[in-house]
Amino acid sequence: MTIAPKAPRAIKKLSMKQRYQVLTRDLDWEPTYVDPKDVFPHTEFEGIKIHDWSKWEDPFRLTVDSYCKYQAEKDKRLYAVLDGFAQGQGHLSLTDASYLNAMKLFLQGVTPLEYQAHRNFAYLARHLNGPGPRFASLCQSIDELRHTQTEIHTLSNYNKYYSGFHNYQQMHDRVWYLSVPKSFFDDALAAGPFEFLIAIGFSFEYLLTNLLFVPFMSGASFNGDLPTMTFGFSAQSDESRHMTLGLEAIKFLLEQDEANVPIVQAWIDKWFWRGYRVTALVAQMLDYMLPRKVMSWKEAFELYFEEQMMKGLFADLAFYGITPPRHVGDAIAEKEILSHQVYWILYQYSHAAAFTTSVPTEEHEKWLSETYPDTFDKHYKELWDKERENIANGGRHFVRGLPQLCQVCQIPMGFTEPGDPTTICQRESEFKGEKFQTCSNGCQWIFEREPEKYVQAWLPVHQIYQGNCGGPTVPDVLEWYGIQDGDGGEHLGSVDDKNWQDWHNDTVKEGN
Amino acid sequence: MAVKSIGAYDFPSRSRQELYGDDQLVHVWFQGNPWFCAAACYRAPKAMRWADFWSQMVVPWAEEDPGFDPGATYAWTLHGQPMTPDDDTSLEDLGVVHKDVIGMQVLSG
Repeated sequence: MTIAPKAPRAIKKLSMKQRYQVLTRDLDWEPTYVDPKDVFPHTEFEGIKIHDWSKWEDPFRLTVDSYCKYQAEKDKRLYAVLDGFAQGQGHLSLTDASYLNAMKLFLQGVTPLEYQAHRNFAYLARHLNGPGPRFASLCQSIDELRHTQTEIHTLSNYNKYYSGFHNYQQMHDRVWYLSVPKSFFDDALAAGPFEFLIAIGFSFEYLLTNLLFVPFMSGASFNGDLPTMTFGFSAQSDESRHMTLGLEAIKFLLEQDEANVPIVQAWIDKWFWRGYRVTALVAQMLDYMLPRKVMSWKEAFELYFEEQMMKGLFADLAFYGITPPRHVGDAIAEKEILSHQVYWILYQYSHAAAFTTSVPTEEHEKWLSETYPDTFDKHYKELWDKERENIANGGRHFVRGLPQLCQVCQIPMGFTEPGDPTTICQRESEFKGEKFQTCSNGCQWIFEREPEKYVQAWLPVHQIYQGNCGGPTVPDVLEWYGIQDGDGGEHLGSVDDKNWQDWHNDTVKEGN
Repeated sequence: MAVKSIGAYDFPSRSRQELYGDDQLVHVWFQGNPWFCAAACYRAPKAMRWADFWSQMVVPWAEEDPGFDPGATYAWTLHGQPMTPDDDTSLEDLGVVHKDVIGMQVLSG
């Protein structure tokens, strides 16, 4: 007699959550024949105390295979849009060639930060003790690399037709205004793993993301840049996970030990101001670089920071004993003057930049007056009037020399005293007999907290004077920067402007 | 508070005076003149006479402002105190040290 073989039992498929549990956390083990301190040597020196790593709630409840499947689908949609835009000469439907100055700034200043974030999250994926945060960091690391690649691909189409896109990596490492975002991120990379989590995971990705990343994407959608807008959507679901991770990181640290609270508070104080100073570049982009405006910097700051963060987030964090960032009052007080001061800086140094600038048009100036009724006409209109007269007399305001830079944020020292928009703020500190100047109370506080770190700052102006930037003349330095004719300077009459006019005049001719 | 570090943390300043030899960095802050967004930074010999510093460095920078008058009377400050620079005195003898900020303000045109 033979026995019929048993019918194979249907294996119950695991849910996504169970698969995540099995494939990530369940693959972790406690080291027994090696001291855990030797396996994870970087998680104690900052003074943070973690008692139970399993309390970390992971926003990336995915397995690697499902993660890749989702991302591949998003990539397919993005690349379909990129192809369509390129084939249809979509760049001709932008509001104006000058819009791309915002994207040049993005590619030169932000995309390389995505890559740096990729690197450091990969480091966290190795060095954090708990499997939850390690896996979350791994996913974010892959996200950041994908963002780097998709941003480069998205903007590469413009490189065929416009200046300023061709050499962004070299520029990021060398050019004076790009030392602002670069030194910000280097500061975070040079910190310990927990400080990095608060600096980038919390402060950059959560607290300030709507003032740093989102304005570029909104600007794209308002100015006919479909590829960048699609990239923005493609990154959105990743970004919301990153925000969750940032928030989870801070709550996890605060809940683990009361002794962590003052350490985290100091990092919030520091990284709010560091990040806020980087947003100065975004402020001028919103108010001056976009031909069709999305919202003013002041409105963005009020909505995304004062409403959402000050009234929402910090009300929640008060439960843990966390207070709003030190110097936040100075930032709020600056909201009506910041963008004007920064664009005035970029305007007069754009001969050494890889973007172009121009005097605001009459319509633009009307918008500035209406949007900033208490400050624009009073403090800035007369400067532009003077510059119009200067141009009429054959001039163009490009400064013949190099500016004093802030030792911390590295922006030319053009910010003013709190409450006095007419007096430049000069702060001076001394460390080991040497003087160091900073642009604000916030930057001075950061310097004096860790002077050993900031004395190492690679200040572009000082490096030029030390002979480390290609030579002593402006053309020497521009060549070393990788900047070519047409990349910077005045927009009207620039290579991009002339091409734009030609292409659109041709269209009109053909249409006739 | 010092940097919290995993090891020894002691690095020299990347802009210390010795990197500039006999020169030093000097800032000139044209106060009350918003045309220049920030103070200027120069690399100047310590032994440079004030007259040369003025004519070879400050004036070529400042005259980019169409309203600049090199013949005007200026009030000068150093370390927050009024300074009366003498044409033949060197920057060093005037008390200007590496990375100092010299304030400059129009008194009368």
